[in-house]
Amino acid sequence: MHGLFRWSGKWWPGVIPLVIFWAIAAWTSTEPLEADLAQRSTAALKDTILDKRRISVAGRDVTLAADAFSEDGRQSAVASVEAVPGVRLVDDETRLVPEAKPFVWSAERDVLRVTLSGSSPLPAIRGRLIEAARANLGGVEVVDRMNLSRGAPPRFDNAALLLLDQVGKLKDGKITLSDTQVSLSGMARDLGGREAIAAALKNLPEGFSVAANEVKAPPYIFQAYKDPVAVTLTLTGNVPDNTVHAALVAAAGRKFFNEKVVDNLKASVGAPTGFANAVVPALGALSRLSTGTLVVSDREVKLSGDALYEAAANEIRAGLGKDFPPGWQFKPEISVKPAASPVDATVCQQLFSELLGKARIRFESGKADIVADSAGLLDRLIETALRCPTSNIEVSGHTDTDGDEAGNQTLSEKRAQAVADYLIKAGLPAERFSAVGYGSTQPIAGNDTDQGKAQNRRIDFVVK
Amino acid sequence: MAYLTTFYWGWLLGSALLGFAMGWISVVQHGEGVSRTLRWWLSALVVALIAAALTRVVPGRFGYWLDLGLIMFAFYLCGCVIGAWLRAWVVSRTAPSA
Repeated sequence: MHGLFRWSGKWWPGVIPLVIFWAIAAWTSTEPLEADLAQRSTAALKDTILDKRRISVAGRDVTLAADAFSEDGRQSAVASVEAVPGVRLVDDETRLVPEAKPFVWSAERDVLRVTLSGSSPLPAIRGRLIEAARANLGGVEVVDRMNLSRGAPPRFDNAALLLLDQVGKLKDGKITLSDTQVSLSGMARDLGGREAIAAALKNLPEGFSVAANEVKAPPYIFQAYKDPVAVTLTLTGNVPDNTVHAALVAAAGRKFFNEKVVDNLKASVGAPTGFANAVVPALGALSRLSTGTLVVSDREVKLSGDALYEAAANEIRAGLGKDFPPGWQFKPEISVKPAASPVDATVCQQLFSELLGKARIRFESGKADIVADSAGLLDRLIETALRCPTSNIEVSGHTDTDGDEAGNQTLSEKRAQAVADYLIKAGLPAERFSAVGYGSTQPIAGNDTDQGKAQNRRIDFVVK
Repeated sequence: MAYLTTFYWGWLLGSALLGFAMGWISVVQHGEGVSRTLRWWLSALVVALIAAALTRVVPGRFGYWLDLGLIMFAFYLCGCVIGAWLRAWVVSRTAPSA
């Protein structure tokens, strides 16, 4: 042992080549060592969720800078790097991602792009949201302005994905998720989009609720144009379903006896309540105009055109709105068609016959109440009567042979009187009209067929 | 340490062989070697460096170079001890017959 101590005094000169060895080793090994440690540290953090991760190695000391999403995650990240073989010290520059309170996320859509902003809880969820936005909104640019924050409510990702689905149904607008409260505003892309969104929101994950849904639907439009030149009635726009569609076309056929109905309607959801109850009387009012347009936009009914005479114009202006369901508005723009030139009695009779040859004044079955569908025909009869102001007119009622003769006689008289009263109420002088009932005594067709009977049930105008 | 030894076994083996050679020579070499005072000073320096390495006060690359140097020095010393022992053993076996 003593010898060893004595000899050791002679070992020191060897330190000089050792230092040279050391210098060469340090020169050649430092960078490979640092690269190796950086790679091992990165691999050790592979399964740890971090944002803005930065690893730098000086010698065997690792500087780890990152944003962690929980205190546990942060500590485990540092511990993972510390456990890497060869690492001497870990300079911990990690911090927790800031907590957002309230946790607000939003998706805003305009014509060109969808902007995702606010907070997202994890990078993976953020990626999924961007991907879902791109998939749902094909072709629209997706702008990511989200930042990462802690404090998201449970099941945030499910709720946000469902809301992104709804963004696809908007033309423009914004959906905001503030903690668990959802607010929506904007305009739905299609008719029914608003309803579809409202229905989808019922599937929000548990705990989430809708604070405000101010999504508007595009206006529900129905239009009817009466073209006096082409003698057509063109129906365009939307109807709620096929039943209403059929009912409207049938009503148009009854009210517009002279015009061909061109049906360009399509069934769409999203109709305002009472749609059919408002549109049918509005079509009735349009049938009384010589030319006109009916535009129904949501609950607003605009009727413009020319009435055949002043009293009809007043009646339409004042009367139509009363027939509408509550909440509906009527905006009449009715003018009066210039009076046609007077004609003599023969022409007048001819005009009456032409009109009554095309359509008949219709009554409730077995009664003397004129049905509303005949208003258009009656207006034309009144207009004709106004053209021959000096002629007296016999309004004659006829029935078929069904029922007893006395009953038919009475009914024919009552119906003739009802028509005469209608004309007088429209402003024609009472002394020009006489109402006569003929029962079934003057048939114009055989009473052995339904068609013949229908022809016999009629009102004739006879110029005297 | 284990990492460094596996990473640089070549350099460490070199250091140990260098130490072995120095140990081998030191047994039969004449002369005083390093003076006692300087030896103490050098030993104190090594102890101070070991303390610095253990307390990890030297940061970054300098810390790594210090660790590397000390490990190489440790292998060198081991080499010296083995070399000196072996040479002493060889000398003691051959001396009586000479």
